[in-house]
Amino acid sequence: MACARVPLDEQSVTEPGPLGKERTLPALHPERKEERYFVPYKPPPEDGSPAEVEEFLEHAKFITEDLEWLLALPHDKFWCQVVFDESLQRCLDSYLHHAPRGLDLAAVPSSPAVADMQRSVHRAVFLTFLRMATHKESKENFITPAVFGEIIYENFLFDIPKILDLCVLFGKGNSQLLHKMIENIFTQQPSYYSDLDETVPTVLQVFDTILEKCGLQCEGATAMEPMKLNAHKQPTALTMSQQDFVDIIMYLCDSTTTIHAFLDIFPAACSSFHSHGFVSRLTSFYGSVVPDLEMAIRKRNLDDKILQEDLWKRLSHSCRKMVETTHLLLHHTCLQPILEGRENMETFAEELLQHFTSFLPEKRFLSDYDEQFPIAEDVSLLQQALPVIDETRTSYLLQGVESAWDSIGRQKPQSQIEPK
Amino acid sequence: MSPPRLTGALRSFSNVSKKEDITEQLYDLKTKRLKRQELFAREGLTWQKIVHFCTEHQDKAKHQAVSQELKSLLLAAKQIVGTEHGQEVIESAAVFLFETFHNKDHVGTEETRAIKQMFGPFASSAAEASCACVARLLAPLEDSRVEDFIQIQSSRHKSQRGSTFGRNIAFSYDSYTVDPLEDLPWSGLQEGNMNLEF
Repeated sequence: MACARVPLDEQSVTEPGPLGKERTLPALHPERKEERYFVPYKPPPEDGSPAEVEEFLEHAKFITEDLEWLLALPHDKFWCQVVFDESLQRCLDSYLHHAPRGLDLAAVPSSPAVADMQRSVHRAVFLTFLRMATHKESKENFITPAVFGEIIYENFLFDIPKILDLCVLFGKGNSQLLHKMIENIFTQQPSYYSDLDETVPTVLQVFDTILEKCGLQCEGATAMEPMKLNAHKQPTALTMSQQDFVDIIMYLCDSTTTIHAFLDIFPAACSSFHSHGFVSRLTSFYGSVVPDLEMAIRKRNLDDKILQEDLWKRLSHSCRKMVETTHLLLHHTCLQPILEGRENMETFAEELLQHFTSFLPEKRFLSDYDEQFPIAEDVSLLQQALPVIDETRTSYLLQGVESAWDSIGRQKPQSQIEPK
Repeated sequence: MSPPRLTGALRSFSNVSKKEDITEQLYDLKTKRLKRQELFAREGLTWQKIVHFCTEHQDKAKHQAVSQELKSLLLAAKQIVGTEHGQEVIESAAVFLFETFHNKDHVGTEETRAIKQMFGPFASSAAEASCACVARLLAPLEDSRVEDFIQIQSSRHKSQRGSTFGRNIAFSYDSYTVDPLEDLPWSGLQEGNMNLEF
């Protein structure tokens, strides 16, 4: 047993070696790891033949048994296992990769036994990540914060895709715990902010890929070379195969939900997204892709009407998430500093107004945004906080919002219409 | 196969994750079962202790019969683990069967699953034979004495040391579900489809 009141990274232990002779080792040492062989996770079978169900139950039982064993280990042994057991990391990674999300097409398990087992794995995986994100378990059991930051980063115990997976898998009902976990990870290891910064362009690339797949933005579109009229034969949302079309909607749904879950749970990440011009990219993406996909759902000859309705709901869900993400970004990067009365309030107000103004040409996005988060309310807040704001400008903006509603032929919800 | 995911793209196209060799399939179920058998063999209860326990409380006249039952149990264990294994592995398997069936009068689903998880696919006749052997071995003994023996000797039945991390944490199983915008009514779709008819 390691000594008390000394950080784990500075402790050493004396214990019998493989030949029975006593030896002294650092408390965190690969030879202190147990040979356990964690198996990788496989998702529940979709159709559920008895053999497949049995295989899933067996696999999942091994995982819960092993993770429960891991969670019961003393602090020093837990960390030896976490740092040095590659099979454990593979097991956890495989769960994040393959665990069914609530938004997946076949999210409902085939039997109560499968559902119960899936729940057990789900909880055990979460608790394992929670313990891995905790550098101080008690007065006696802790790791020097800087060393903890180094351990989790250098061993890829956490990385940005894993953090996003954790948010989308567990965030709905465990947001407070997840917030604490992620905040601690970023605080103890600021390199995660650099990684996040490096990841945002790839997120934007995902949106570009969706546009490309829908034939809305082709490679070299910005190049000055003229194209032959018949050269552009890329499939569109209307002409691509049904499977590709379903995949695009699923991809959009997963991407928008994941980004929103992450920013909602960890708003400190908003500034990284904001600095890459995420708001303007997202709004123009919305303006291009949403009407196109809506039209394709309406016009494609989908045999299965249940699938058609499901795709429509998923697209609508994605719209909601994009609107909510935009609001989160604007709230945390512009509005919040104004409401808190921080320095340079005028700069934040200017930025917010510029964003709202940039929404004006994106009429579809603007009306959807205004429906969820009435722009008039934010403008009113701005005017209260900063009475010097140019009224002509705000009037122009609000008129633009009204005309966006008119131009797409929709009516504002009654609750938003001011009595004349 | 998992549907396309944002995090899958981030893993493939950014440099912030560990690059894994996905072709490597080191940890299959067979390896796992062998490891579990190895770990089980290191636990408290041993074949020698079972032999001693089953004979110490019996008349000498019955020792011959007890010895025969124990041999039968080892034989059933051998059928379950496979003939290629040594005596140590067979005895460890017999210990497992003894623990599994000590308070059972038939081979139920749970027992079948436990044996399969430990040793892989097996002949059901061997499981039934071992269940019957254990029942005959323990029939003359008081249930409480058997339970005490198992509780004391087997580390599987001992409560886990210390407290398990997260035992008292309130965990929610809620997950994100499809939450469409209210103002994008499905009914509009019907019109779109009707237009397509022309």
